[in-house]
Amino acid sequence: MRLAKYLFKRLIIVFITLFILVSIVFLMFRVIPGDPVSMFIDSGLDAESQQLMMKLYGLDKPIPEQYIIYMKNLFRGDLGNSFTYGKSVVEVISERFLNTLVLTLTSLMIAFTLGIKTGSFLAWHRNSKIDLVGTILALIVRCAPVFWTGMILLSIFAFKLEWLPLGGMTSVGQNFTGFWDKILSLDFLKHLILPAITSALYSMATPTLLMRTSMLEVIKEDYIELAYAKGIPEKKVRRRHAMRTALLPVVTIFAVQAGLAIGGSVLVETVFRWPGMGREIVLAVSSRDYPMAQGAFLFIGFATIVFNLIADVLYAYLDPRVSLG
Amino acid sequence: MTLLDVQKLSIEYRLSDGKLRAVDQVSLKLESGDVLGLVGESGCGKSTLVKGIINLLPSNGRIIEGDIVFEDVVLNKLSKESMRKKRWKEISLITQSAMNSLNPVYRVGDQIAEVIIEHEKVGKRSAMEKAEELFDLVGLDRGRLQDYPHQFSGGMKQRAIIAMSLALNPKLIIADEPTTALDVIVQSQILERMNNLLKGYSGSMILVTHDVSVVAQTCTKVAVMYGGKIVEYGDVVQVLKKPNHPYTMGLKNAFPSLIGEKRELVSISGTPPDLSKEILGCRFAERCPFVIERCKGMSLEKTEVENGYFYCIRHAEKEELRKRADLPETWESEV
Repeated sequence: MRLAKYLFKRLIIVFITLFILVSIVFLMFRVIPGDPVSMFIDSGLDAESQQLMMKLYGLDKPIPEQYIIYMKNLFRGDLGNSFTYGKSVVEVISERFLNTLVLTLTSLMIAFTLGIKTGSFLAWHRNSKIDLVGTILALIVRCAPVFWTGMILLSIFAFKLEWLPLGGMTSVGQNFTGFWDKILSLDFLKHLILPAITSALYSMATPTLLMRTSMLEVIKEDYIELAYAKGIPEKKVRRRHAMRTALLPVVTIFAVQAGLAIGGSVLVETVFRWPGMGREIVLAVSSRDYPMAQGAFLFIGFATIVFNLIADVLYAYLDPRVSLG
Repeated sequence: MTLLDVQKLSIEYRLSDGKLRAVDQVSLKLESGDVLGLVGESGCGKSTLVKGIINLLPSNGRIIEGDIVFEDVVLNKLSKESMRKKRWKEISLITQSAMNSLNPVYRVGDQIAEVIIEHEKVGKRSAMEKAEELFDLVGLDRGRLQDYPHQFSGGMKQRAIIAMSLALNPKLIIADEPTTALDVIVQSQILERMNNLLKGYSGSMILVTHDVSVVAQTCTKVAVMYGGKIVEYGDVVQVLKKPNHPYTMGLKNAFPSLIGEKRELVSISGTPPDLSKEILGCRFAERCPFVIERCKGMSLEKTEVENGYFYCIRHAEKEELRKRADLPETWESEV
């Protein structure tokens, strides 16, 4: 019951945030330099035709009116048509978005599972050589650019050893009956491994180092001493008492990282020719496909908000001290 | 039957600039059913001693000599695993910081059940039933077992920890200032209940405190610690009625007596010695109103009395010292 109330409150906040998000995205695209018309409307056309085109896209109306129209369409789930694809933006983006989501969630899952375990392991062996080496390694991996790690992995596993494909999401000539059929196929998984590992390596340092610091704090707590005094075996003390409590800040960072990863997937997607959102944004911006870019930004913003909501709920579940009122 | 026999135990802490001997050649004997009060100022090694007994010293602390014999088993030579099995089952510990000893993310009841399940291999249900009984015992509402620690007041947390310490009927409970967060009335209530319970199965307790009145009320034996040493040890009535060591005399003056007439409280001026430096002779000499030249520099002289011992070279004059110690002026004069 309290959880339901808490959720309701969170959802209201989510809606307010969404409203602000769409308004900012709308305004941003009216303020930034560059003219959508110039790209789409041939300057060779006569003034009258140009006016006609402007009217067709509603660009002749004053900005407040454009805003109202934009909001209305948004509520109907209409983000306009892409200039380059000629298809509806929602249609193009949802497919790309799913591709990105699959890649991002896979890599984040790898990164956080390994990161949490490594971080707690390092903290448990604090001040030892393993701790030192591990921490330095985490920092190095964190500093290595994604395209560089990606290229190295590609050159070893795809080019030299030929174990894995060079890029793309599926092999040419494959036929799939649907989304699930595709992402559960062996062919897809083979394509997924390298990009997922590349971006997992990059994302892993944050949870590792955060978990390590958090564990170091928790280990000093009196309830850890009591757990030992209670005669609880060391493994259980570590898992049940130390890791469980140390996990809390890591959960918060998960939401932030997930949002960042979806927005920042452009490098991995470019290196591995992954047909996702990141690549689409770059394409849309460089080809001045305004509705497309606008839609892409909205999707990323939306995803970030949703992940934050998930983190909030998870946090409330994990930490009883968070008041659900 | 001798339950615990601490033999010439010394514990050292490694510091960045040298060593600190927090416990120095301490000997202690505890029979089944004894309640031993371990008194002394802060920083005189009480907590280190009890943590040493249960083998829970911080990583820079180490037992450098002596043995801890618990029922004919030398605890400090046990393997990690055998020691772990003895903890709480046979020796439970209520730490000084009972306030922060409960894990914030688990329900209090689950944390009590955890220790029962771990050692007795029983189901969750019967463990919770036991936890309910324990809560009755310490005067907490059974329903509160479902609460999280942050929903408890300081006193309630302390009671919960006390309840937990009794969960497995341990032969020895080490209570390191267990009742500091409780008011005086509740404090004596809880201590009395613990006492009665221990008597029921002739369990023993080491009660670490700096409150002499608590000792007088609860304990059968008392050990007075100063500067890492036990300076006086004996039956509680004996020691508190007729203290032999000047520090015990001073300590007694610093606390109100529960029985007898009202009197002025007198504190001992100065602070305990710095244990990272070597001290020759009596450690209390710096603050002792009866200090003479011989006290400093001479090796300590143990005087055995009935059921106890003390270290003071002026033992022959103890009657006179006791009389002088009763006068507040003695402690006010500059030493």
